[in-house]
Amino acid sequence: MRKLTVVFVAALAASVLSCNRAAPETTDKPKVALVLKTLNHPFFVDMRRGAQEAADRLGVQLEVQAAEREIDVEKQMQIVENMIQTGIKALVITPSGSREIVSALVKARDANVPIIIVDTRVDEKAAAEAGVHTETFVGSDNYEGGKLAGAHVVNVTGGKARVGILEGIPGHETGDSRLRGFRDAVKDAPGITVVESQPANWERDQGFNVFQNMLQAQPDIDTVFAASDLMALGAIEAIAAAGKTGRIKVVGFDALDDAKKAIAAGTMDASVAQFPSEMGKAAIESVVKAIRGEKLPASIMVKLEMVTKESLVRR
Amino acid sequence: MTRSSRLTHARQFGTVLGLVVLSSVLWALTPHFLTVPNLLNVAQQTSINAIVAVGMTFVIISGGIDLSVGSIVALSGVALGAALQGGQALPVALAIALGIGVTCGLVNGAIISWGGLPPFIVTLGMMSIVRGAALVFTEGRPVSSFDPLFRSLAAGQLGGVPAPVIATMAVYLVAHVVLTRTTFGRYVYAIGGNEEATRLAGVSVRFHKTMIYAVSGLVSAMAAVILTARLNSAQPIAGTMYELDAIAATVIGGTSLMGGEGSLAGTLVGALIMGVLRNGLNLLGVSSFLQQIVIGAVIIGAVLIDTVLKRHRN
Repeated sequence: MRKLTVVFVAALAASVLSCNRAAPETTDKPKVALVLKTLNHPFFVDMRRGAQEAADRLGVQLEVQAAEREIDVEKQMQIVENMIQTGIKALVITPSGSREIVSALVKARDANVPIIIVDTRVDEKAAAEAGVHTETFVGSDNYEGGKLAGAHVVNVTGGKARVGILEGIPGHETGDSRLRGFRDAVKDAPGITVVESQPANWERDQGFNVFQNMLQAQPDIDTVFAASDLMALGAIEAIAAAGKTGRIKVVGFDALDDAKKAIAAGTMDASVAQFPSEMGKAAIESVVKAIRGEKLPASIMVKLEMVTKESLVRR
Repeated sequence: MTRSSRLTHARQFGTVLGLVVLSSVLWALTPHFLTVPNLLNVAQQTSINAIVAVGMTFVIISGGIDLSVGSIVALSGVALGAALQGGQALPVALAIALGIGVTCGLVNGAIISWGGLPPFIVTLGMMSIVRGAALVFTEGRPVSSFDPLFRSLAAGQLGGVPAPVIATMAVYLVAHVVLTRTTFGRYVYAIGGNEEATRLAGVSVRFHKTMIYAVSGLVSAMAAVILTARLNSAQPIAGTMYELDAIAATVIGGTSLMGGEGSLAGTLVGALIMGVLRNGLNLLGVSSFLQQIVIGAVIIGAVLIDTVLKRHRN
């Protein structure tokens, strides 16, 4: 028994120790936490890369943490609490929930840690009620992006389309803004009807399933707008499975590498490009200013771009 | 002391030792671990899983499993949120939340007992049904922003100890007494040890099994109250995968998946090990991907010990 316990404990210790290669406590660089929604999405991986490059350049010690699942606000809150304990000088965060995250931000405020929000805005009312002040917001305007996508659809269909929409997780500011933008852009085109709009929760496999079901119910859908590329890529598979490749236009959001490949191959029509690595970079640059006590603008907008086959060729 | 209970004690000693060594290692690696604010942090972060794991311990000791706890957390949470938003008084809203948790547990237990279906299947089905109900009820949207009185259930403290930690200690105390000092508690072990023999001894196994799942539903709803207060928001997608965390805490704590043995003290230590691990790995800046590997290894290591011990006994 005793032997077993020793083995167990040794294994535990070894597993913890072996993971501890990245813990230099000695540097006098300011330590900054970058808390992402998740790291199993190319968008956030790109954001991390941009942030890391800026951090290396500007002499910031960056600690990147993320929840295992994008929707896990409680885990994000735990990470924030834990990072505060390590004496971070600033918190950069992409909130998993616009309102829920406020409780975590309160903890940062209590510890006098300046907060910089990236990608997803914090609910202003909830933040004001809790007395949370954020230094700045870095992101792209999702509403404008949705409008860009909508205008593109009007353009390429000649103002005549039956549209199916794949939504993100309901209640997420990011997805809701994109949808609002899209709907606002197409509402003046009388020939464009949104026949179905359903959540596929940002995920590729759900994009496949939900769109497959949509096609069953509405076989005459000729255009898809997906609030993210992962869902769009799922929809493309569903279109292929139904033997309708090329007959349904797919417009996505994020311009992921896979989406660009699909656009080049002609299975996808277009995607709204955000620049997550730019966001990461701008966030870290803002952090440095905030630590120096400089005043920051209320929001820092990163550009958006429509990626189409033509724009890919031009590059 | 019988041979078997001595082994149970030895097993728990191993779990406690594991926690102590884990903490020592973290203390050696980072100056941020062994501080009062951080330990309170860990206790607070552990509380939700620890409370859910109370019910899981009852269920697993009785030889069952409850996969629906995470979904019950979500449904109780959104019902609580909606009741508060709808202007109900706090006690009424709490009663609604706990009532929903108990009801879900009763449904689980009744189908398992009278329908004669395996707990895995029934609670797997309920996991989906209850989650779906939470999503239908809220149309997928979170219910947010509650008054300070309700939020004090998570943010409040007594003598520096956060409210969720006090709640956890109270739940464990009561549950421990129920499990070790009441007839119901003895039947939980008896049903898990030998259900047929328990039935032949004249115990209403069906009734008691149903009650066991009701306990699991009840504590899941309690966890939902704390979670909702903590996030100041109730989400229909809350509690996803909580069942696995609760099972992990229970088995790390030495409760046998075969039923008939286990203890709440072990489960509490199991939950703390998971909480300390997650906290420590955060403090050390270990990537979240590696964290999953470490936690998985700890679960397997703990159960491996359990299995080897059993082989020794036979």
